[in-house]
Amino acid sequence: MTATENGRRDMTGSPVPGTGKLPLEGLRILDITVVWAGPYGTMHLADWGAEVIRIESIKHFATSTRGQMARPPLEFVRLRNTGMGYVDDDPGERPWNRQAIFNTHARNKLSVTMDLASPEGQEALERLVAQADGFLENNVAISMERFGITWERLSAINPRLIMVRMPAFGIEGPYKNYRTWGNHMEALAGHPLLRAYPDEDPARGPSGVPSDAAGGVGGALAFIMGLRHRNKTGKGILIEAPTAENFVPFLGDFVMDYSMNGRVYTQLGNGHLFLAPHNVYRCAGEERWLTIACRSDAEFRKLCQVMGEPNLADDPRFADSLSRYQNRRALDEAISRWTIEQDARETMHRLQAVGVPAGMVMDESDVHADPHVAERNFFQEVTHPEAGTHKNPTIGFKLQNTPYEIRRHAVMLGQDNEYVYKDVMGYSDQEYQKFIDMGHVGMDYDPDVA
Amino acid sequence: MFMPLEGVRVIDLTHYTAGPYATRILGDYGADIIKIERPGGGDPARRIGPFYHDEPDLEKSGLFLFLNTNKRSVTLDFKTEKGKQIIKELVKGADILIESFPPDVMPNAGLGYEELSQINPQLVVTSISNFGKTGPYKDWVGLDLTLYAMGGNMWGSGDPELEPLKTAGRMASFHVGYAAALASALGLTNAELRGQGENIDVSYFEVTLQSIDGRMQKLLGYQYNNQVPMRVSPGASLGLGSGIYPCLDGMFMTTAGAAQFPNMARMVGAEDILTQPGWDTVAARSRPEAAEEWEATLIPWMLERTTKEVQRACMEFGVLGGPVNTIENLMNDEDFDARGFWQTIDHPATGPLIYPGFNSRIHFEDGERPARRRAPLLGEHTAEILKEIGIEGEEVSLLRSEGVI
Repeated sequence: MTATENGRRDMTGSPVPGTGKLPLEGLRILDITVVWAGPYGTMHLADWGAEVIRIESIKHFATSTRGQMARPPLEFVRLRNTGMGYVDDDPGERPWNRQAIFNTHARNKLSVTMDLASPEGQEALERLVAQADGFLENNVAISMERFGITWERLSAINPRLIMVRMPAFGIEGPYKNYRTWGNHMEALAGHPLLRAYPDEDPARGPSGVPSDAAGGVGGALAFIMGLRHRNKTGKGILIEAPTAENFVPFLGDFVMDYSMNGRVYTQLGNGHLFLAPHNVYRCAGEERWLTIACRSDAEFRKLCQVMGEPNLADDPRFADSLSRYQNRRALDEAISRWTIEQDARETMHRLQAVGVPAGMVMDESDVHADPHVAERNFFQEVTHPEAGTHKNPTIGFKLQNTPYEIRRHAVMLGQDNEYVYKDVMGYSDQEYQKFIDMGHVGMDYDPDVA
Repeated sequence: MFMPLEGVRVIDLTHYTAGPYATRILGDYGADIIKIERPGGGDPARRIGPFYHDEPDLEKSGLFLFLNTNKRSVTLDFKTEKGKQIIKELVKGADILIESFPPDVMPNAGLGYEELSQINPQLVVTSISNFGKTGPYKDWVGLDLTLYAMGGNMWGSGDPELEPLKTAGRMASFHVGYAAALASALGLTNAELRGQGENIDVSYFEVTLQSIDGRMQKLLGYQYNNQVPMRVSPGASLGLGSGIYPCLDGMFMTTAGAAQFPNMARMVGAEDILTQPGWDTVAARSRPEAAEEWEATLIPWMLERTTKEVQRACMEFGVLGGPVNTIENLMNDEDFDARGFWQTIDHPATGPLIYPGFNSRIHFEDGERPARRRAPLLGEHTAEILKEIGIEGEEVSLLRSEGVI
């Protein structure tokens, strides 16, 4: 296949064809991303038309990507209720194709298996790189060097390649081989201590990974920027999009406060720096919660009316924003005494009807039952050959002139081997058979892979 | 050095956090960002702290200064007839227009996608709103707390015995802004490739619903096994060797779990345990009691070490972990310094200050590193930008006296 004038390829015959309208159609991206941040980045690129080929291995299990282990024992699967496990809590014959985390972000992608530890696998990699536009990965530098994956080598094979490298701390500097997940990098960046409960041991605070969301979007955007660079110069480019450096700006106002005033905040919980009320309140029922915030006296007055306590707005402790903030604990108690008797969803509607910011804390079942989510078609039903038919979350934005759809289910391990070896790399039937015989190609991890 | 968005012009009608973050990112990649601000007060973020030396001043808001580098500021009331005409004139030479008003504001001002695309059919219009332009909640109000509560992973965040917790500060807003930057770049790509403009509807609620911050996975997971998982403490979703532990000089977070436990055992010099019954296989280590039993070994080991020592050990033995830092610790961290991440930017109202650096690093052939221009003063570039569309001299004075600019 040859590059067309605008640098796009003819992808006729691809197992996940575009729609003729998506912005990244005709671009081929090789993907050695692991865990969450990297795969979330390539998800966006596959979603919008790129042919994203995951390079995987049946001889090695990439930790925390297609699950925690290739073949987890039932004890392990059922120990923790994470809500991100296997279909029907059953790992099945090929657990790696049935796990919720992977299956969320692996839609619209392709999978090829290769053995990069062998000379033949290395030759195959070179052929593949020659046919690619992009290469995204988020492994520590040493893991990639082990397979000879460096910018110097790949760009020599393909001078038009756009390489985006997004390990937590980048590929240069003292932490280039420091392997973390999002939550550990966030700990280093100050997030868990900032968001911890105000009056409790910080160890009781949560551990989310907004950093993986930041890193993923940053990686996808970096690729598109690299593409623009190539369109202009005719040359490929290396871009680092380290998750840490994509995340720290999300704490920009805290960084600036330290920079300007030497101020260090900790344990802010759900509180705001100057607004009150601004908290989560327990409602009637089990684990039902409602968040409420007021940005003005007018909003607070309306809240008091809905509470049936209009006089509260005239209480000198709560009469203006500064007083409300200073007396926020008393205010939170007054609101809680009311909400504990109320239905969270109904109260959210009553408050929103008069323009008071209120949002119930939705669990997963609430989201699936929500009328707004349904009307906006946020979920799309997708059938997966080994996982069954389920409603998949789609995307956070709509391009109204460019219809979006999940064009194929989460890719199964090695599902596109034949296409990638023969049509993309150009191997003959005989040569392909050799890769099968050598154990590079398959849809099952080797029996001894943990 | 060719910046990827060099020559791309963005009309920025956003305010507060999410929209300005989107245009900050586009500006970092080289786009010309024309920030339209209300005459008088400007972007309301100018009135939000933290302020330099805690002095409230339109030019001293740290939030604003951080969010608005690489932009030019024009004061303009686009709800006046003349203001609207100026926006339309600017749109002729623009590639992207981004706005973050409630869904009806732009159409009601005569500046909806239909009108704008007639002036410039290739224009990408990116609208950021709380719940998107359609649906029963489209006019609902919200802020980081309430929108994250509905869309994000709040229900599952925190301690099971305490209330659910949001992410810190304005984090969900930043995420929405970043998604809007990506969406705009996708729209721009199609506009240039196919000559077709784009009308982009970014929903804050939906961005948080599809975030890889634990929410998206759980939404599919719920379909898989009907689980609505209760909150767990840090890293505890994997149990064994996972949590926040006290050290000599602070706290340290690790994650191991039954599968990745062996490296941690080696790190603390307890590799003998790996051959003992109850510890020798993943299944055995998945015993619910294993986590607490292991802490009897792990915690004393942690207590004898500084967070830096534990971090180095994690790096050496391949254990997942990180120090539980303050922002001050972060800003003194060796890695960010060595990489030259932080930037010092001078500004007339504050003098030089340290800012977070670029989200990504383009390895230009000549090794050059782009710089950032400080945030603009309110209306600093009004005359300059009006001149670019042919408005100068008395016409400018007239617009000023009429309160349009």
